[in-house]
This record gives sequence, structure tokens and C-alpha cells, in this order.
Amino acid sequence: MPMVQPKSIKYRKLATHLGMIVFLALIIFPLLMVIAISFRTGNFAVGDIIPSNPTLDHWRLAIGMDVVAADGSVTPPPFPVLLWLWNSIKVAGIAAILIVVLSTTCAYAFARMKFRGKATLLNGMLIFQMFPSVLALVAIYALFNKIGDYVPWLGLNTHGGLILAYLGGIALHVWTIKGYFETIDPALEESAAIDGASPWQAFRLILLPLSVPILAVVFILAFIGVVTEVPMASVLISDINNMTLAVGSQLYFNPQNILWGDFAAAAVLSGFPITVVFLMAQRYLVSGLTAGGVKG
Amino acid sequence: MANVSLNAVRKNYDETLHKDTLRNINLDIKEGEFIVFVGPSGCGKSTLLRMIAGLEDITSGELKIGDSYMNDVPPVERNVGMVFQSYALYPHMDLRENMSFGLKLKKMDAATIKKRVDNASDILGLDPLLERKPKELSGGQRQRVAIGRCIVQQPNVFLFDEPLSNLDAALRVKMRIEIAKLHKELQSTIIYVTHDQVEAMTLADKIVVLSPLDEGADSNLEQFGSPLDLYHNPDNKFVAGFIGSPKMNFVDATLVEINAKDCVVELITGERVTAAVDANRAKVGDAVQLGIRPEHLVESEHEHAQSKVTGIVQVTEHLGSESFVYMDVKGCDFTFKARPEFPAEAGDQLTVGIPTNACYLFDENELAFQRTAKYNRGA
Repeated sequence: MPMVQPKSIKYRKLATHLGMIVFLALIIFPLLMVIAISFRTGNFAVGDIIPSNPTLDHWRLAIGMDVVAADGSVTPPPFPVLLWLWNSIKVAGIAAILIVVLSTTCAYAFARMKFRGKATLLNGMLIFQMFPSVLALVAIYALFNKIGDYVPWLGLNTHGGLILAYLGGIALHVWTIKGYFETIDPALEESAAIDGASPWQAFRLILLPLSVPILAVVFILAFIGVVTEVPMASVLISDINNMTLAVGSQLYFNPQNILWGDFAAAAVLSGFPITVVFLMAQRYLVSGLTAGGVKG
Repeated sequence: MANVSLNAVRKNYDETLHKDTLRNINLDIKEGEFIVFVGPSGCGKSTLLRMIAGLEDITSGELKIGDSYMNDVPPVERNVGMVFQSYALYPHMDLRENMSFGLKLKKMDAATIKKRVDNASDILGLDPLLERKPKELSGGQRQRVAIGRCIVQQPNVFLFDEPLSNLDAALRVKMRIEIAKLHKELQSTIIYVTHDQVEAMTLADKIVVLSPLDEGADSNLEQFGSPLDLYHNPDNKFVAGFIGSPKMNFVDATLVEINAKDCVVELITGERVTAAVDANRAKVGDAVQLGIRPEHLVESEHEHAQSKVTGIVQVTEHLGSESFVYMDVKGCDFTFKARPEFPAEAGDQLTVGIPTNACYLFDENELAFQRTAKYNRGA
């Protein structure tokens, strides 16, 4: 913005940058610490930020390789970390896709259709979402226990059940997408209707292509939410081989012997799928898709 | 191409409020006519258009396009094409896709689609732009694409919802002429909504004047007629004031003499004006309003200055080709369209001439008396 600025702007800019750098350092420091711990010999939480005796042992264990010590003793990997990682990706991927599908169609109804009790439903959803789902864990456990009697693949200790449970938390996503839909001129769909499109076609061919950025945002948020979710997953899944990484990695916390190093390696590993999903979704996060369609 | 007829059409958005948006609209639109709905904002003109398109439901009354009853028919089966005020182009499609979208949905074969799109782009001069996205176009070009999207559908009725209101003044004039040409070329029925009475006067075969519905009014359809008919013989004060620019002057007056072909009124200034109006349905002493268009007023020495009115000059605007003198006549705003170099300073007392044949007269209920002559300015 070429605007005439007073001289003091230079110093203010400098101060702003300094402030941002300090802030960034504060955010990045814990991550660096975790990475440092994962390369540190032994399972210690405290120590130098740059390990004096770097070792790959924790990483070997994390990706499922035996560690042979100098004295010839062999340590097998304590937990199936890669399997947990795969479980996380699978559950989060499927859940995020279903969450996007559900909340998009739901948001369309709230944004464009007229029906009785619309405002009540919307507010009700938002208010119910405000209670932490942890409070309902007992109910959820009992429910899925019962569901499992009839539909085994949706019961306790199944990924199907876990995904189904995650689909309950879409109210905020519905609100987000609804807000975006409402910024798109309804004349576009009216025009499509006159052109001969059914409501579904207008939704599918006009509204959806214009909403890709918000769908990408919701996908990322849902994916991150599921990957990092612990309470629900820890109650519904008890079999070690079905655990997600977030739940499984807590097994490192033995009361007598906390395996900080192994835990740190697993923690860093869990960041990978999120990073990959974010990088992939980034190209859809473009602005200006709706430019030119209507007089702005 | 088809006739459109509306019979006692009413629109109410919320029945619990008992407030109608449109009431008792009766129109008979002939095939090939260019009809303009005009009125101030909030008069329901866009609503009426959307009801014809099928985007709003009709609360009561009857809509026919061609000979078929259309109240409950979805938009696509009405075979209408609509140009939206916001253009409503599909931003993610290029122009060719924009125009062929509807045809593809109707499962037409590719050759026909191409032929129709090429034909439309030819008419509108869009050929070099067909591969572009809407955001790469200027306002006028987008407008043309929106029209093109209608043309390819070959609709029975074209509906235009304030299509020019987003364009700048010069482009608006240009597009107005293009739309007029297009109507000549296509010979199809066009219904056009605008709040701009100049667009209405220049484009329309017939104008529908709508007013915001008053509580208890029988209808908000004020008048339906040809542009010049509305100009010369408005049914009421609303139409008289709305059609014509600058607006018609109104001065409160009292009837003092009624003859077969004219009458004499006394203005609030005490001056007497003879008006070529048949006022026989009223009686001497009735309160009336005299209407006179700014462009019909003459200087006081002019040969047509049969009557005179005096006021105080407030502001004078010199436009080069003409001047507008804004006066205050005993509390009534009064505009006089004068010759370019007409000398008038703020604060001056000015007397202007009123030709007898140029007068309009309205009764207490704002209904017009029949005029008995048409003013001819002469050479």
C-alpha cells in the first residue's frame, strides 16, 4: 500500500519484527526440545539442547528396529509405533473426509433452505458442542458397547466405532462452512436453477467448486483434531494394536520409568502426517475463487 | 416467444404481518413487447420479476406464460431467461462454459451447443473472449455474457433485473442502446426492471409504474401504458412525478372557475392559472394541485405565457446546453428549465410563464383530471 508514512514507522517496523522473532522462538523452543530429547542418549527429559552424545536408538525403536547395545544385549521395540501411526492416519483420513461430507451438506441446508426451527437447531448444536465430550465418555462407552452387539465393526475397540464417534463433533465445522456459503451470492444458484439445474446440481456444480478453500480448511482442522484426540480414543480402544499414536504413546509413561526419549521420537513422528496433509491441502487454500462472478 | 399475463397477483412474504409487497397486479403483456417495470426502491418490481421467473412463489393470483398456468411450474420449465443485477456469472467457468452450462444440463448435443454459443457470442461481440474467466472481463463485458447466457437458451421471455445499475454512466448509455438493438433483432418478449425512468422511457414499448404499497391501497400498480402516454396523460400524481426528469412541479391551488374545455385555479401565491383540463367532475372551491413540467415553463414574456407564477430563486445550475432554476413558490419546490444563459441569481424574484396547454391538474386524492390539449412548444 503506497501510503505516505511518518519517519517513526521504521523503528516501529523493527520493533514489530523483533517482537515476532521472540514470539516465534517461544513457540519453536518446545519443539526443538522434543527433537533434542529424541536424539539424546538415555531417557532423560532434562539436558543440553544439542545432545553431547547423539544417538539414533530412540528412532530405531520407534520405527520398529531392535537396538543392540555395546554389551551385546538386544532391546526389542516396546510398542508397534508405526502401526499406531498408520492407525492414526487411517482413522483421521476417513473421519476427516466423512466430516467434510456431512458438515458441507448440513451447512448447505442451514445456509440456503428455509425450514422451521432452523435457528433453534443451529444454536442448539453450538451449545451442545460447548460441553466437553469427555463428560459424556461413560455414555459413549455404553452406547458403543451396545452398538457392538448388533454391528460388530462399529463396536468398542474398532476403528469404525471410533470414526463414528468423531462424526458427532461437526457443529463448529457446520457453522464455519455455513458462514462461507452465505458469502456466495445466491443469485449464482438462482441463475443455475433458471438454466435448469436441480438444487443438487446447483450445489454440486456451482457452490462446491467455489467452496474448495473452506472445505480444505475444515479437512485440515478435522484431521488435526482426530490425530491429536486422546480421551475418546483411549476409552473406545483398548487393544494395543488398534490404538492411535496419540493414545498409544502414553504407554511410555510407566509410573516408575518414563521413557522420555522413546516418547519424544514417537511424538515427532506423529507430526508428520499432519505436516503432509497440510502441505497437500495448501494448494487448495487459494483466495479469489469467486472473483468476477458477481459485482463485488 | 409468448404472451405473459398476470391476473390479480399478490405477494406476501410473511402472512403473519399482513403486509403485502404486491397487491392486485393485472398485466397483459403481448408477445414481442418490451415491458419495463419501474418504480422507487421497495415497490416490489424485482419481486414481481422473480415471481415471473419462478424464484419466488405467488401468494395468490394467476400467472400465465403463453397459454399455460405457471404458478407452480419450476423456473426451468417456464422457459425464461434471466439477467441478474449482479450478473451471477459462474466464476469458475470460462465464458463458453458459462453460456453452455444450461444447454449441457438439458443434454443437448455438442454441435447444437457450439452453434448456439457461437451465434450468441457473435451477436454480442464476445468472440475473442470465449476462453476467458469472468474475472478477466470488464463490467460491460460481464453484462454481455450474462445476456448471452440467456440468448443461448432461446427463452420465451427475457427477464432483466436492473441489468445496468452496476455500470458507469457512459457504459450504461451504450449498453442501453445495445439492449434496444438486441430486442429489435430477437423480437422476443422482454421484461425489464429498473428504477431509472430514463431507461424506462427509452427502452420500453410499455411501462409498468409501481409504487410502494400503502396500507389499505387497492393495488400498487399505478399505471400501465406507453412511455409517451404516461408522460402526457398520467393517471395520478405519483406517475406524473415519477416520469419525466427533472421532476414535475406541483403547486397547491383552489378551483375558481370550471369551463367545458378548461378551468381556472388560484395558486397559493394568489396568482390565477388557466389550465386546459376537464375539471367538470369537481366543483368550484375544491382544493387541487397544479402540475407543470420544468421543460414546459416559459419566460414571462413568451407568447405561450398565458398564466404566470412568481417565486424566489434558490439555486441556478448552468449545464451549458440549458439551465435549471430552482425556485421556492410559497413553500413548494419549483424547477424551471431555462435557456443556457438565462440570468437568475439566488434571491431574485422571478416570474415564469405557464402555457395553458401544458398544465396537469390533480384532485385531493391525487388522481388526474383529463387533459383537453397537448402542449406543443412550437418552433
